[in-house]
Amino acid sequence: MSERIIKYTEALKEAADQMLAQDPKMFIVGLGVSYKNGADGTTAGLAQKYPGRVLDTPVSENAVTGMAVGAAINGLHPLVHHGRIEFALLAADPMFTQAAKWNYMFGGGNPVPIVLRINVGRQWGNGPQHTQSLYAMFGSVAGLKVVVPSTPKMAKGLLVAALKDKNPVVLLEPRWLFQLKENVPEEMYDVPLDKARVVKEGSDITVVSYGDGFVAVLEALELLPKDVSVELIDMVSLSPIDHDAIARSVAKTGRLLTVDTTTPAFNVGSEVIAEVARRAVVLKGAPQSLSCPLVPCPTSTALTAEYYPTKVDIVGTICKMLGKPAIERELSFEELHLPPGRTL
Amino acid sequence: MDLLGAYRKMFLIRAAEEELAALYLREKIMSFVHFYVGQEAIAVGVCDQLKEEDRVMGNHRSHGHYLARGGDLKAMVCELLGKEGGSSKGKGGSMHMIDKSVGFVGSTPILGSVTPLAAGTAFERKYNNTGGVSVVFIGDGASEEGVVYETMNLAGLYKLPLLIVIENNLYSVNTTLSERRTAGYDVQKVVEGIGLNYRRADGNDYHDVAAKAGELIDGVRAGTPAVLECITYRHMAHSAPIMDESVRKEDTLDVRKEKDALKRVRDELIAQGDQAGIEAAESQIKAHVLDAISFAQAAPYPAKESLYTHLYE
Ligand SMILES: Cc1ncc(C[n+]2csc(CCOP(=O)(O)OP(=O)(O)O)c2C)c(N)n1
Ligand SMILES: [Mg+2]
Repeated sequence: MSERIIKYTEALKEAADQMLAQDPKMFIVGLGVSYKNGADGTTAGLAQKYPGRVLDTPVSENAVTGMAVGAAINGLHPLVHHGRIEFALLAADPMFTQAAKWNYMFGGGNPVPIVLRINVGRQWGNGPQHTQSLYAMFGSVAGLKVVVPSTPKMAKGLLVAALKDKNPVVLLEPRWLFQLKENVPEEMYDVPLDKARVVKEGSDITVVSYGDGFVAVLEALELLPKDVSVELIDMVSLSPIDHDAIARSVAKTGRLLTVDTTTPAFNVGSEVIAEVARRAVVLKGAPQSLSCPLVPCPTSTALTAEYYPTKVDIVGTICKMLGKPAIERELSFEELHLPPGRTL
Repeated sequence: MDLLGAYRKMFLIRAAEEELAALYLREKIMSFVHFYVGQEAIAVGVCDQLKEEDRVMGNHRSHGHYLARGGDLKAMVCELLGKEGGSSKGKGGSMHMIDKSVGFVGSTPILGSVTPLAAGTAFERKYNNTGGVSVVFIGDGASEEGVVYETMNLAGLYKLPLLIVIENNLYSVNTTLSERRTAGYDVQKVVEGIGLNYRRADGNDYHDVAAKAGELIDGVRAGTPAVLECITYRHMAHSAPIMDESVRKEDTLDVRKEKDALKRVRDELIAQGDQAGIEAAESQIKAHVLDAISFAQAAPYPAKESLYTHLYE
């Protein structure tokens, strides 16, 4: 397949573009999706290319999302975009209580082929009401498939798979990753919605993460002492969680660390650790999870510097779990506060 | 009426926003920001009708509402710069203004959702029979959220002393009214149909805003909640100090300059013969703004430990 280096946002746009071209039932709705650089660039140019199928909306998330659910029930394939997870919460009823329940409560045969692309807003200065990492909340709702793309390549493949699926699929997209670049196949492809990825094989410890937590782990790997062998798993799916893949790895390494950017209560890592315990996987030491503290994300950089787990925190935790000395490293302002623009 | 006093407040908002916009362009200021330049006559025209015990709430674009109500400038700039001395101790940032000492009881950026909260502040007044009204500033975009109409009905039903000010600057980000509403969309009919009072004011005209806000607030105090819709122009881009002329439809740069609310009041004051007085006030206010900015730049950041404080009282 021909590849070229594109950004996370461009990969999402390309998936939508290719699916709009092949699926006449698909349409896109959301605030600003028809702009020149719509939805952070993820819908750029699509309104011009597909007239009448990429619709800007009034500021009415509940009605817009509900309308999309109704259209999906009747066979259309809506892609709904919400620019922050908090805006999507105004549509909690059509997402959680209508779309997620419809097929089940009517005894099957009533699929809701809707895709919700929801932006999780970690970014400089966005503060308590624009940055909530409610990953676990979506994962806890039966009837939704929930995925988190961690790289541009995954973003494209997951969005294509979501748009082909018959059921409600939620893509929780960490804004923090929007500038990441990667070699992404030009052709349309999809990746499974329910499978974790072993991104790197190793023997000392299994690190399980997703989204911006996953990218922090990638950064941490570059700082780790060379004699530490990490097996890195990208969860990809939060509903369902691919517990088999995780248990297989932990059975091999005997150590488990989970890393994410949610609060530590009712958290994704806790869910992973609980299932490893239920399966009685034999461990060489207590499993650990690294997340944010149980407070809202503040706005001041003096405080956000302390809020998110960094690559240094991750290295420190891994070293501690392996009984090795921690490394000393001061992070620059850019490393702490500006999203990564690296090429993977 | 003290027109020079009103001009001073409008000029304070304008000068503060312009200096802060320049600062944003010069330095990395890590607080998501929406500037109020162009809409000053609304905040000042409405707040000038309020009494000390009245309450004000706002939205994502609330620097102007906060300053018009008399909020502390240094605390506001500190908040934008993420400093300990900020109005929310650095935790909230630009979208979370508060100064309860002057009755500004909070601003939040989730569109529409501040409207029922403001109704609640009015409910408390009625419940405790203490008098006083509540005013909430929202945008034309926010007014499309269903909860705003639910709140109008609720406020009317419970006869809450609430004034909803819709600052209609013609856009939600870059989306025009006609891209979001039916051709016959009539705010007046909707509001009056629910049973609330309604006035439409020229939001670029201090006198018109002040007069209509005054009429409505008399009714609000007597138990009929109301909506004041002010048509205005936002001079800067939606969320950044840069300009966005390519998306403007009727409110082009020339039109904005010509109808500028500050210019109108200033011309009127000059015609009354006090050019020297105005210029003196302007340079004094500018110095005050620059002083607040240097103060905030030199002010300390919050201690790391404060990440964990204030979750509960
Ligand atoms: C519930 C919700 N949806 C979307 C947004 C994103 N957003 C922030 S400001 C804005 C435009 C709001 O327009 P308006 O209410 O007219 O206020 P203005 O910015 O014009 O002052 C939008 C869509 C939000 N903050 N909250
Ligand atoms: Mg507006």
